[in-house]
Amino acid sequence: MTVRANLYKSIIGGLLLGMLGALGLAAEATKVDFATEIQPILARKCYSCHGPDLHEGGLRFDDRATVVSAADSGQVAIVPGESSKSELLRRVLASAESGERMPPEGKPLSELEVDLLSRWIANGAEYSEHWAFRPPQPSQMPITMNSAWALQPLDLFILEKLEHAGLEPAVAAGPEELIRRAYLDVTGLPPAPETVAELSRNWSEDKYVQLVDRLLAAPAFGERWARMWLDVVRYAETNSFERDGLKPNAWKYRDYVIDAMSSDLPYDQFMREQIAGDELDEVTPQSLTATGYYRLGLWDDEPADPLLAVFDGYDDLVSTTSQGFLGLTLNCARCHDHKIDPLTQKDYYAMVAFLRDVTPYASRSDGKSNNQVDLNPDIARLHEEYESHRREIEKVTKRIERDAIKKMSAENQRATEGFDREKVLSEQLVNYTSEVEFREYSQLKSELGEIEEKQRILPKRETILGLAKLDAIPEKTYVLLRGSPHNTGEEVEPSFPKLLGGKAPKLPVPNAGAQSAGRRRILADWLADDENWMTSRVIANRIWLHYFGRGIVRSPNNFGLMGDPPTHPELLDYLATELVRDDWSLKKLHRKILLSNTYRLSTQSNSLALAKDPSNNWFWRQNTRRLSAEQIRDSVLAIVGQLNEQVHGESMYVTLSAEVLASQSRPGSGWGKSTPADQARRSIYIHVKRSLPVPLLSAFDFPDTDISCEARFLTTQPGQALTMLNSDWMQQQAQALYNRVRREVGEDLEQQAQRCLELATSRTANKADKQELVALVQRLKTKHQLSEQKARESMCLVALNINSFFYLD
Amino acid sequence: MSDKQKRGPFCRRVRREFLWQTGAGFGAVALSSMLDDTFFESTASAATKANPLAAKPPHFAPKAKSIIFLFMYGGPSHIDTFDYKPGMVGMDGKTVDVKTFGRGGHRNQGRIVEPRWKFSQYGECGKWVSDLFPNVATCVDDIAFLNSMTADSPIHGSAMLMMNSGKIQSGSPALGSWVNYGLGSVNENLPGFVVMLDPTGGPISGAKNWSSGYMPATYQGTVLRSEGSPILDLKTAPGVTRAEQRDMLDSIAAINARHLANQSDNDELAARIASYELAYKMQEHAPEAVDMSDEDAATLELYGADKPATRDFGRRCIIARRLVERGVRCVQLYSGGAHNDDNWDAHGDLEKNHNKHAGATDKPVAALLKDLKRRGLLESTLVVWGGEFGRQPTAEYAEGSGRDHNAYGFTMWMAGGGIRGGVSIGGTDELGSAAVEKPMHVKNLHATILNQLGLDPNRLSYFYSGLDQKLVGVEHIDPIHEIIA
Repeated sequence: MTVRANLYKSIIGGLLLGMLGALGLAAEATKVDFATEIQPILARKCYSCHGPDLHEGGLRFDDRATVVSAADSGQVAIVPGESSKSELLRRVLASAESGERMPPEGKPLSELEVDLLSRWIANGAEYSEHWAFRPPQPSQMPITMNSAWALQPLDLFILEKLEHAGLEPAVAAGPEELIRRAYLDVTGLPPAPETVAELSRNWSEDKYVQLVDRLLAAPAFGERWARMWLDVVRYAETNSFERDGLKPNAWKYRDYVIDAMSSDLPYDQFMREQIAGDELDEVTPQSLTATGYYRLGLWDDEPADPLLAVFDGYDDLVSTTSQGFLGLTLNCARCHDHKIDPLTQKDYYAMVAFLRDVTPYASRSDGKSNNQVDLNPDIARLHEEYESHRREIEKVTKRIERDAIKKMSAENQRATEGFDREKVLSEQLVNYTSEVEFREYSQLKSELGEIEEKQRILPKRETILGLAKLDAIPEKTYVLLRGSPHNTGEEVEPSFPKLLGGKAPKLPVPNAGAQSAGRRRILADWLADDENWMTSRVIANRIWLHYFGRGIVRSPNNFGLMGDPPTHPELLDYLATELVRDDWSLKKLHRKILLSNTYRLSTQSNSLALAKDPSNNWFWRQNTRRLSAEQIRDSVLAIVGQLNEQVHGESMYVTLSAEVLASQSRPGSGWGKSTPADQARRSIYIHVKRSLPVPLLSAFDFPDTDISCEARFLTTQPGQALTMLNSDWMQQQAQALYNRVRREVGEDLEQQAQRCLELATSRTANKADKQELVALVQRLKTKHQLSEQKARESMCLVALNINSFFYLD
Repeated sequence: MSDKQKRGPFCRRVRREFLWQTGAGFGAVALSSMLDDTFFESTASAATKANPLAAKPPHFAPKAKSIIFLFMYGGPSHIDTFDYKPGMVGMDGKTVDVKTFGRGGHRNQGRIVEPRWKFSQYGECGKWVSDLFPNVATCVDDIAFLNSMTADSPIHGSAMLMMNSGKIQSGSPALGSWVNYGLGSVNENLPGFVVMLDPTGGPISGAKNWSSGYMPATYQGTVLRSEGSPILDLKTAPGVTRAEQRDMLDSIAAINARHLANQSDNDELAARIASYELAYKMQEHAPEAVDMSDEDAATLELYGADKPATRDFGRRCIIARRLVERGVRCVQLYSGGAHNDDNWDAHGDLEKNHNKHAGATDKPVAALLKDLKRRGLLESTLVVWGGEFGRQPTAEYAEGSGRDHNAYGFTMWMAGGGIRGGVSIGGTDELGSAAVEKPMHVKNLHATILNQLGLDPNRLSYFYSGLDQKLVGVEHIDPIHEIIA
């Protein structure tokens, strides 16, 4: 008898014994949750042949009816209550040699999985609704044995699972670790070592609470947490494609997000402003700036299929909106009904219909009218008078140019399509126009010059990136068969996804002077409704993610069936419900997490817990987390004493090496120069140009900006070491750090070494580490004849390359 | 036997893999293999975490281990190179009805620009090749020509993305990223996906062309330079020697070891320690890979690396061979960069443009094929040649020989890596304006490349945005079976 057959026997045997024992309590304790424990197994092991796509043998595990009745073979996959009669169990336990094992390819089910399945079947094999598609259950505080451990109600949810799994929470992190952790998590910047030392002395709960409140009130909080949202909304300041042109004033949207975070703008209002900031009861410059949300995506100024490009634009908005706010991958239903989630193609186009008054970003001949909103209409009107005059004149001059160009040599014609246009025209136009025409042309050109002069002395237009022009009476929306705009199906009206109620809202009838269709307001109100349990869960999960390194749901943009089930569904519901109860104050949520005991746990390992829960599913300790790209760069600037803390403003350009610029078709194009002081600003202010990633940031996993980023990768690769050791920028920072420590502690090498380490790690320097640096300087001087200064600069560089700098303990 | 029959119904189909994100960190998980589902069990293995580029088994026995993609940026004219149109002789200047779509938009009529170069037959297969490629012409028996290629866009920006990533919008991983994701690298001291640019500059959209898109940056292309420091920040800072850096690394390692002692189970900390050593080794190996001092004079001459016109591309072709010899999976060389006539985008004077670019690449490309062959490397190296589209049979302007873009039909070719030589597949109409015989899409090309590397193009997937994303898209795509040996 094979091992697996033995296993089968023992499991069935065990089950029978268990059932004969009929211990209600035990059965309760071993209750299996379909959504989090069974459905994932079925999805990944069975669905590929017996699921929504393929129903081999007449069996589909996503539909209970087919699995509890006879399949094509006559066998019944699942006999509720009777594991031993269920074909499913027999087949997953069959030996590979028998040819009957399921799944036939890949690894067999683990013992744990088989056990879960058999217990679930024994309990009646009930299917339950997907966790995310159910409203939050009324919070019942978990009953725990060691409830004194909980410092916040949320701790009880963690503790309950830990106790259930027989795990002890780790000890609390020491004050030095915790202070640094809180600073970097909340503000993205490290604390000064003095601050840590001062706070650690007589460390107390009160001190920690005060610290948390101080950090949450700091302007740096907004800069740190705005980036979380900018990742989700795929923030960038250019359009990608051949010209990768600038999106004017995109940075104002970035500042809007910083302010929203800093001022604790209620999240429901934050959603409303971005989705319908132009349609709210009270439209403000702030709410208009929020509509920049719609203008952040890709835009092809020269699409091969213009109609398809329009719908690619809507797809970008539907993807970002559904994933970003709702945690639903509605984008999967663009070409056909969603394969797994109960989302139909109609749901997708019904969402498009909500957004249908949003015009394309721009047109090739007019880069601004659709996306630049004037905040001061009076000034705009003054400019507009000149503008319209200019356009009239240009109609004539362009025609003359066009006619002349047609007669030029092919090479000159070609040249007029590029940067040399003005040069060619100034030299050649006279040869291809009549005398009269040329005189007219010259006259008009000088008039244009005069207009420009006059316009220059007007007050500047105050413009922001946003929804400047809308289709108040939008075109009809149709289901597009296979996603092709050239193949329309039935007409659809705006309505909410079926799985979330599917209500068709009453649409306003735009009056004659309406600027917009009024549909986005309805969408915004629905998203921001207190009863919309998707949005509150999704944002609560995102915030949790950034404090623990992973979300309660590990797929923050996908709460659907293909996403990851929450490890702590009740906790997520609790946090979401509390968020709404706190009038959507995100800062209150931050505070709850920061003050929890769970957040404050040490990262230290414990072999017992490690054996039981190696991936820290149950949060028995805090995860060791690497700093993000921005945290690394900003920390370096803070550590060497160069950080410029100026908040807000236009983006700046860090110096890029010639090699990096050479990757562009026009090296340096679209990349400006900033003063050293501006370059020392925080990373969130670095210009985001889609086709020119900044090496230091991208090396440390700055996300691709073309698509919503739910959670960053955390790669470890040699390119990071090369940048941190050899780049010009890091060399400069090492020199600056040397200057700083010299200024602060004088010439004594030991003291300098100590200071370097203190600054890099925000904590007391380890003696052995300090000796290591001292010895390094000696080695560099004696072995390699480095100058005193160079050797000590190298020491500073080393201090910025150690793991206790890169990671949060 | 009976077992097999029983299993039949379950095994015939390609399994769709579901990637569930589990494990400690988000990043680690996404790196986990799509090739098996071991990581579903609990966490990503430490080894995977430590080196996501570790070599992985292919789906089936591969023919090719590496690919060299010679990207003729700007779009070479197929009817002036490898798509012989004898019927056009004598038609120069004639206005004909022909549907074209290029930068200048849709047109229904145009003035014919007769192919400007003479064609002759070469090899046992008798392939007609123009005088632009006298050297490549001597290799036709090793080459499979795809004369009926089509693409979705005749506009550079989107067409470049299509050829490089299979999509007309940016944000998706490049072919080289897919290959490294699927196979990993067998040489950890060098990047697995290398891009070498033209000295005139990068192609339009720059880094978007070798981005790893929604995959981690581990899989993105690394720009490698044939002169100076080959990789960004590879060289130690001015005034710092490798020996000095060794001492610094030792200090970093010593301090890190103490830090690690508290969290000995932490693979990530250990991986970062290892990554510094890897960087150090890369500093040694990358310069060695581009150092041509051990190439003999005959080789340099073969590639034209000794002549000004062919020096740059010749050197880059030699480096491509050296990289492949060292296990690099994907090397992409750009012929042409920047704008206008710095690349194959012959809108003005066709002859001047193509003489220049063919003149700079013909000899090096032929040398690459011959050199790979004599070293026994051609069997395991897939060489791909082509641009993002071809060019129209008609003139773009009233005067001159310039041709606009053409994505309705163009030619690419492949050699080595299990590809049948001496064949030409598909064809365009008598003017070369559109593919009419067995039209092939860029996706078929991509499918063929993956297939030769041992990856099933319809199976190699990456779960992102709620979908199993594939290089070839959601619909089933066949490789070009006719050219597979």
